[in-house]
Amino acid sequence: MVTNITKTVTIYIDDVSYQVPAGANLVDAAKALGNDIPVFCYHPKMSPVGMCRMCLVELGSIEKDRATGEVVLDDKGQPKVRWFPKLQTACTTNVSDGMTVRTNTKQVDQARENVVEFLLTSHPLDCPVCDKGGECPLQNLTMEHGPGKTRMNFADKMHLDKHVPLGDLIFLDEERCIQCARCIRFQDEVAGDDVLAFHERGRSLQIITNSEPGFDSYFSGNTTDICPVGALTTADFRFGARPWELTNVPSICPQCPVGCNTSLSTRLDRDAGGRAIIKRVMPRQNEQVNEIWICDKGRFGHHFSRGADRLQIPMTGNAPASLTRALQVAADKLKAAGSDVAVIAGSSMSNEDLWALKQLANGLGSERLGAWPPTHAGADLVAQVGVGKGTNLSALGKGDAVLIIASDLEEEAPVWRLRINQARKRGAIVVVANARKTQMDEFASETATFEYGEAPKFMADIEASDLGKKLAAANNLIILTGADGLTLVESRALMQSAANFLIKTGHIGKANNGLMSAFPGSNAMGLYYMGFTPEATLDIAQKPPKVLIVAQSDLIADDPSVGEWLTKVETIISLTLFNDALAGLATVALPIQSFAERDGTFVNGERRVQRFYTAQGPIGEATPAWQVAGRIGELLGQGKVKLSAAAVMLDITKSVPAFEGARYKELAHVEPQFPMIQKDVYYGGTAYENTGGLGVQIPTAADQGETLNVGEVFVPETPKVGKGKMLIIPTQVLYNRERTFQSSELMHPRVADPYAEINSADAKRLNINNGDMVEIAIAGASAIRVRAQVDGRAPKGAVILPRHLATNAVPLTATVGSISKVGQAAVVEG
Amino acid sequence: MHILLRGRDISDIYKFDVYTANGGYEGLKKAVSMKPSEVIDLVKASNLRGRGGAGFSAGMKWSFIPQSEPIKYVAVNADESEAGTFKDREILETNPHQLIEGAMICAWAIQATAVYIYLRGEFWDVAHALDERIAEARKAGFVGDNVLGSGWNCNVYTHLGAGAYICGEESALLESLEGKLGQPRVRPPFPAQKGGGLYKEATVVNNVETLTNAPWILVNGPDEYKKIGTEQSSGNKIFCVSGHVNKPGNYELPLGTTFRELLYTHAGGIANGKQIKGILPSGGSGPIMRVNGNDDPILDTKLSYEDMAKAGTILGSASIIVMDETVDMVWVASKAIKFFKHESCGKCTPCREGTFWLDKVVDRILSGKGQESDVDLINNIAKNMSGVTLCALGDFAANPIIHTIKNFPEDFKAHVEKKEVAAEKAAPAKAAPAPRRGKEAAAQAGD
Ligand SMILES: Cc1cc2nc3c(=O)[nH]c(=O)nc-3n(C[C@H](O)[C@H](O)[C@H](O)COP(=O)(O)O)c2cc1C
Ligand code: SF4
Ligand code: SF4
Ligand code: SF4
Ligand code: FES
Repeated sequence: MVTNITKTVTIYIDDVSYQVPAGANLVDAAKALGNDIPVFCYHPKMSPVGMCRMCLVELGSIEKDRATGEVVLDDKGQPKVRWFPKLQTACTTNVSDGMTVRTNTKQVDQARENVVEFLLTSHPLDCPVCDKGGECPLQNLTMEHGPGKTRMNFADKMHLDKHVPLGDLIFLDEERCIQCARCIRFQDEVAGDDVLAFHERGRSLQIITNSEPGFDSYFSGNTTDICPVGALTTADFRFGARPWELTNVPSICPQCPVGCNTSLSTRLDRDAGGRAIIKRVMPRQNEQVNEIWICDKGRFGHHFSRGADRLQIPMTGNAPASLTRALQVAADKLKAAGSDVAVIAGSSMSNEDLWALKQLANGLGSERLGAWPPTHAGADLVAQVGVGKGTNLSALGKGDAVLIIASDLEEEAPVWRLRINQARKRGAIVVVANARKTQMDEFASETATFEYGEAPKFMADIEASDLGKKLAAANNLIILTGADGLTLVESRALMQSAANFLIKTGHIGKANNGLMSAFPGSNAMGLYYMGFTPEATLDIAQKPPKVLIVAQSDLIADDPSVGEWLTKVETIISLTLFNDALAGLATVALPIQSFAERDGTFVNGERRVQRFYTAQGPIGEATPAWQVAGRIGELLGQGKVKLSAAAVMLDITKSVPAFEGARYKELAHVEPQFPMIQKDVYYGGTAYENTGGLGVQIPTAADQGETLNVGEVFVPETPKVGKGKMLIIPTQVLYNRERTFQSSELMHPRVADPYAEINSADAKRLNINNGDMVEIAIAGASAIRVRAQVDGRAPKGAVILPRHLATNAVPLTATVGSISKVGQAAVVEG
Repeated sequence: MHILLRGRDISDIYKFDVYTANGGYEGLKKAVSMKPSEVIDLVKASNLRGRGGAGFSAGMKWSFIPQSEPIKYVAVNADESEAGTFKDREILETNPHQLIEGAMICAWAIQATAVYIYLRGEFWDVAHALDERIAEARKAGFVGDNVLGSGWNCNVYTHLGAGAYICGEESALLESLEGKLGQPRVRPPFPAQKGGGLYKEATVVNNVETLTNAPWILVNGPDEYKKIGTEQSSGNKIFCVSGHVNKPGNYELPLGTTFRELLYTHAGGIANGKQIKGILPSGGSGPIMRVNGNDDPILDTKLSYEDMAKAGTILGSASIIVMDETVDMVWVASKAIKFFKHESCGKCTPCREGTFWLDKVVDRILSGKGQESDVDLINNIAKNMSGVTLCALGDFAANPIIHTIKNFPEDFKAHVEKKEVAAEKAAPAKAAPAPRRGKEAAAQAGD
């Protein structure tokens, strides 16, 4: 909650007067003053329900003379207080001038003790085997306020099911649930997926899921953080470790451009030969980025970091080699190629890695730096007119607008979807514009549609439309683009038109205004700042170099067309996490470290440079990519390899103007945040207090008042689809079969079987029924086999084909192809 | 004279023609000829108090509705679930048009958009019949579009609950009416305020009996109405008498009638020549009264809001359960707590857990396995539940424990001292269910 309340009022807590923001929640206000009013059901991110009755206080107000408005004094000359006859729940009280509160009286103490006693009568007290034990609000508040002894006959306790799977990821222990409805409210109010509910009543009141599949939400894990007991546990962590055994390391989620701040809970683990491994991923508070939430991909998608397919030792010519030897071979090959070398780097590499790779290439005289995957253009425009410094999606509300165009944001950047939906609930206009229906429509206040190929034109012409006028008139406007259904050329044109509109309507250079894009990976903006572009990637494909360094990019799984040109590259040097197909093709394959094993930084979609720290033990001989590149450079006489990631960053800050002020020390800077997430888990839950740094947001060119250059907009022709052909529209789904997600076995039931959506008219014409196995043929690619989904969502003439579900690669961007039913001759239905 | 139970006087007054032939809908006509605010003032002046239990001034409640709001509702509380209460049902069955008329008068007074009559689920047959009555009234122009040519549109709908006592609590009723789980809401905002009523719109919630008074008040005027009853309790009240009396049933009498008159003159006296031991004046939820036999002067207490308060109890919905000397008050406490355990919505900790716990200990005492400390324990548990919950059910549930212990300590003593309790044989308690595990136990706990 962002409050820009300037008015303050005077309240009295335990006879001391304080100035607090008018209308603030009493629990929050007291907390900020250091008075911890205990709560179970209240949560600062959700509306109060007054259920648990733990927050009872004595409440009154200073009496004022009706006529004169003057404070009435008692015989001692003290202001007279009119007290409520009964205790009141602080959580349902907003402060007002003259409010008097007592939190330290016998009556209040007794009420707290009573509530704890009541709760414990139904509680199994199986703390010794409970995941929450050690960070449990009920445990803590029992120690603080509870009765020392039980008056409940233990045999009278109610026994209920202890392992109820609400879905594949979350288990409910019915005995432990204290019926606080935090989980229900989180799903409804915060996540926007209203999939939990209470069933029955009285002591039989129980949490149920009403979705199919159960607990169908990308944000389900957060409920385990805010559950004040161990009633909700994750399939990933339950019975995995005790909280006090864990070392918590600040990190950044490497999965998407939101850049959620996380905390990796690690432990020296028997299962990992005594090395430190990640036991769980927890959200770490950063109110500007992810508040205290993360999505389930971020929470449960960490297993790749120690997947069985990690490349552990360097390879030369497919044979194991020492690191020294492998580096030497790489250096020799590069030297021999002269300047005919190029680099393709993945969008989840750290800035330090990218910088070192760039130094290496530049040192050899090459400027050919390709970004992978080359799906989204216009990072340069985000650098110019991206959301202004100080942007906070939580600040958007009434009078503001967000245009989400050509993006299935829920699948591409879940926490942005969550936060923008909250903005909508606060009154912001959220427009979802796309050529196809997506579940984003449900989170829109209005939708707009266009034909495939028309997105840039739609954006370029928006000014004249009613919608455009409405957006132009918004107090604050953010345009969030994707590349759903676009070619790279269209993507650039869309970004340019969006930038132009923002410039024209004055929505740039200030907080909460500007351009964002659901780029792939966690560091697409870093790629841009370090000089890597998708256009360069296409150029590399056009004119393959003699030696190509491929860093953390799964070319073969991502793009069916790489085969055409990759064979023309003489030498591939692969810097890779995995022993994948490309590592097999490479002359040299060098194992690199994942985000979990080393230090580094990412730049998120809002251009915030954020730092992650070393969490788990090394995997085999893997080294950080910046070190690999640096050591090759050293062999090539490019100077000494840097001693640390921090030193690399120092270099960056000196050379890349945008990074001025992003030294590690500055990135580690923290400031107090509201709500105060501290180790006292009772208030905010088990999300982590941010001790690792809030990051530094890079100012845009517009923020700096620099001249802007959007470039001439080239609006491409709408692609021609020949007879018998269909538009093939690759899309992104959050849960897929990418290598970086495959090792998370617990997620497998949630990953869809390969499918393609087609329109019912097309299906009829092609004699395809819902559920039929179909084959999609695209020039230059192996046939892709999927099940047809005829669900009325796909536009006519288009095949919606999610990437990374099927075994064979799906094109990176929109293209033309054909679809037919497998195995059966076409039968014309009567 | 019957103002409410007119079916007793005119047996087929439930029929539209008979109702109108006997002055029906004249009150509404009068109301519509007046300004809404005048109607409110008139009802305020009559001192009509809510018959749902709390006795709050009806006119005052109507006056809280912000007139500037474009959408406003009337919700008629026909959930009638209090133990021993069966008055609304008789109105609904035998004099339904008068309720419809009363609800429409209220609707006019607040310029409501619609009226919803929320009936307990078991009243499905009543609801069906009521739908027909509403259709008749609509056809005659008393309900629906352009009511009586006034240009004001207001429809009346019935809605059935799903069998929960808590849905009689006004904010839980509104939740249930919205299709949600019936749990009371946090207040403020109150139902009469924007944000607190049905679908967040300002809403008057009134009991069936309350509204059924309105037509008479409109026709006869507030002064006539105030002539009936006591100073602070005007009008007639339907007393639902049950238990050990010769003629249990509904009795419509002026407020301020004494227990003695009600029980002896009307309800036929105490059955089987026995002595009265206790009276629950407001179903299971109000404090029980100790009566030391049929000559106890407490029976001269007037049945009015103020006199009952003076006697340390409440008038509530006036469901008067009479218990004679054969009744074991521990058994009564047990029955009551079982009811509230079953009916607690489960939202607040003290009510949800307290009723469950109390039931266990009271059962223990009742079965002769209790100790003296158990009596102190239940007394303390009940006190810890009082005054700290979101709705009054928490207090209702505590009352039977606190007040049976206070008024009948000898019964509890007898149980813990394992003395024969004569009454126990007379009215054996249901044996406590054997503990079961898992879901079954949960289902059973909410049996
Ligand atoms: C637990 C509980 C149950 C209630 N049940 C009923 C009921 O069944 N019928 C009713 O009219 N009022 C019931 N009430 C009272 C209502 O909340 C509300 O006060 C009443 O409907 C207002 O109408 P009145 O002012 O006309 O009495 C109940 C209150 C509580 C706390
Ligand atoms: S499962 Fe946890 S969060 Fe949900 S209601 Fe129960 S105790 Fe509260
Ligand atoms: S929203 Fe994106 S950054 Fe955040 S946890 Fe999910 S995948 Fe990671
Ligand atoms: S007091 Fe009982 S019935 Fe009322 S809201 Fe609380 S739990 Fe529900
Ligand atoms: S009732 Fe206030 S915190 Fe639960």
